[in-house]
Amino acid sequence: MKFRKVLAICLASAMTLSVAACGQAAPAAPEASDSEEAETEEAAEEVEEEEAEEEPAEEAEAAEAAEAAEGGVPTYTQLDLSKYGDTEATIKFLHHKTDRAEDGTMDKMVAEFNKEFPNITVEMEAVTDYAEDSLLRLSTGDWGDIMFIPAVDKVDLETYFMPIDSLENLSAELNFVDSWEYNGQCYGIPYMANAQGVLYNKAVFEEAGIAELPKTPTEFLEDLQLIKDKTDAIPLYTNYAAGWTMGAWDAYVGIVSNGDDTYVNQKFVHTAEPFKDPGDDTGIYNLYRILYDAVANGLIEDDYTTTDWESCKGMLNRGEIGTMVLGSWAYAQMQEAGDTPENVGYMPFPMTVGGTQYVSAGGDYNYCINVNSDDTNKLASLIFVKWMVEKSNWCFNEGGYTVVKGGDNPDMYSAFDGCEVLSDKPAKAGEETLLNDVNAESELSFNAGGNAKVQRIVEAAATGSESLDDIYADWTQVWNDAQEELEVSVDY
Amino acid sequence: MSALTKSAGSRKNRTFPEWLRSRDGQRVLVMIAFLVVPLVLLMVFTYIPFAEMVKYSFYNMKYVGNRKFVGFKNYIKVFSRDDCFGALKLSLYYMGGSVVQLSLALYLATILSFKVKGGNIFKGFMFFPFLINGIAIGFIFKFFYTRGFVFDTVLQWVGFNLDSLPYWLKDRSINNISLVGTSVWRYFGQNMVLFIGAIMSVDSELYEAAMLDGANKFQQFKYIIMPSIKTIFVLNVILSISGSLSAFEPPYVITDGANGTGTYFVVMHEIAHTQQKVGLASAMAVVLLMIIFIVTVLQKLFFKYVFKDGTE
Repeated sequence: MKFRKVLAICLASAMTLSVAACGQAAPAAPEASDSEEAETEEAAEEVEEEEAEEEPAEEAEAAEAAEAAEGGVPTYTQLDLSKYGDTEATIKFLHHKTDRAEDGTMDKMVAEFNKEFPNITVEMEAVTDYAEDSLLRLSTGDWGDIMFIPAVDKVDLETYFMPIDSLENLSAELNFVDSWEYNGQCYGIPYMANAQGVLYNKAVFEEAGIAELPKTPTEFLEDLQLIKDKTDAIPLYTNYAAGWTMGAWDAYVGIVSNGDDTYVNQKFVHTAEPFKDPGDDTGIYNLYRILYDAVANGLIEDDYTTTDWESCKGMLNRGEIGTMVLGSWAYAQMQEAGDTPENVGYMPFPMTVGGTQYVSAGGDYNYCINVNSDDTNKLASLIFVKWMVEKSNWCFNEGGYTVVKGGDNPDMYSAFDGCEVLSDKPAKAGEETLLNDVNAESELSFNAGGNAKVQRIVEAAATGSESLDDIYADWTQVWNDAQEELEVSVDY
Repeated sequence: MSALTKSAGSRKNRTFPEWLRSRDGQRVLVMIAFLVVPLVLLMVFTYIPFAEMVKYSFYNMKYVGNRKFVGFKNYIKVFSRDDCFGALKLSLYYMGGSVVQLSLALYLATILSFKVKGGNIFKGFMFFPFLINGIAIGFIFKFFYTRGFVFDTVLQWVGFNLDSLPYWLKDRSINNISLVGTSVWRYFGQNMVLFIGAIMSVDSELYEAAMLDGANKFQQFKYIIMPSIKTIFVLNVILSISGSLSAFEPPYVITDGANGTGTYFVVMHEIAHTQQKVGLASAMAVVLLMIIFIVTVLQKLFFKYVFKDGTE
């Protein structure tokens, strides 16, 4: 008898829990827990009754929700910010800008936002190791309403994120929105865009007698040699130890190295020998040759294994470093790091393809919205994202290339006049995940954390253990193996 | 359990509720009640995740997205790739380090367990590194080894010329030794304290008797201390050896595994998180577990054999 009683109580509580879990059926819970102490049969009956009572209520709620959804969440371009001033919601924003969270920039922007939308509460969480942690958070589903899209496969986008608008509508108003496009829908909007060039110190260049910015790898290496001969500055600071700073070299593959905006996402994976020397001071071959030759000729820091990212910022600012190969996002940080921000300069990457210097620009991390949030939160999140993109001025303040079409660009891009600014075209339909797959399979991981392969160049050049051609031969080998393994056709 | 129920059942033909109320039944209930919490914790946080990991090792998968069953392919890769097994060679450095670490710890423990002036202060200083967070130690040593910083400066005081000093982390012939040094620095104090604890438990009358018999300090160490702390010694050796197989923090924080310092764990981390080959990394973890298992059994056998001959 006792056993049956225990069983009945277990069943009763299980039912109670499942009932309580159905949205706002919560009031049923206390009653049900009282019933646990009541006699067996009574308890069972009561639960049955409750379930019967709950059903119509649930239906009604579901109907209500459906009605709300009919008004639905507008798309990004449909959304008129001025009409939603009284929206009420609490949304959570997961981001990687720990530095901006600490210096109060994030809070200031949200305070601005709350002037226009006083009833939307924005909770923020800054994650230090975002690239890794965000993926883990994503797989648990417990991350909030807005985040920056981590490295997921494009086929999985719709599982996690809400489509923000169609590519057609969105690209009429914004730049760089095609990086997270899938089946014609965009799932993300970049918070800022970066142009890929080279940081340099203007005073060091002057002292070394460099009047004109270098336009080819060979000229660049000659200038580095000049800096070494005529100044005390480190010509090229590799930032080897930090790792990701070495992976930053990958950003010049494609548009910068051959002027083709379809190369990275469409042709690269189908190329048989992507690392072949084209013989005209261009291509991936000559991109990493700069690094190899600079290291081999002693044009980098003395002990590359103990470089420190935080202190390199001040060193560039003060003129102890001549150049660093990093995206434009780093410019503002270099300026802030010392007393001579006017000496920090930014130039296009020294590579000229067919007489033109190409600049690759693209979105940084992209805002995205949780597909599993309810409609109120989705709407509030979309309002927040649109406000951040169009009204927060965040992109400009970070020294970013404008995301809104026709927006202002910071002064730092003045050296880019006369260069062709392009952004990578997305992959062809059906091949969206191909680059990721080949990257992972070959473990070269271009633009996806493949720091070790660039570090290897530095090590090889410094110790003389491998020639550049040895390294490229090895890369070609693993690239071709990956193509074979994944049955990728080789067309170029 | 089965023995208990049998004895309970043989006493009388009781129904289940009656048995529950009896003394035997209550005893079993209490046992279950006490065991259930630790067992559930152990299951949920150790064995179930481990079983999942073993399952992952048979798939070609990322953290997100689709999985594909590939059988033993991941295991074959672990054994055929240079970087996976090559990384185990670095463990030899760490094993060498653990020999140094244990002998140093044992030596100092023996000295400090006799009456020494300021013994407790020394113990405190030497144990202190163990209390510092491993990541912090990494950062300390990154600057410690930087060219012209702490270590070089100290060596220059002693009369070395900066130009004749090597680059501690750049030079591939010594960078692993530099890293092992940090790990020795961190752990020898802890080993020492464990040894002192074991030595303290030796009955002091044994020393007196030995002294009366004319034994010197070394003989006391060999015939009294060593046999008495055998258990702790073996434990420390096993911990250090499995620790050297799974060395992670120094190379990860100080050099990020670059420049030929990537140990098995660092390579595994790179494969799991950068390359997102979760299946392969899981297979590596399972293989490492097997290796540690085998090494531990071998050590057990070794010590059984050695100590049998040495002391009896």
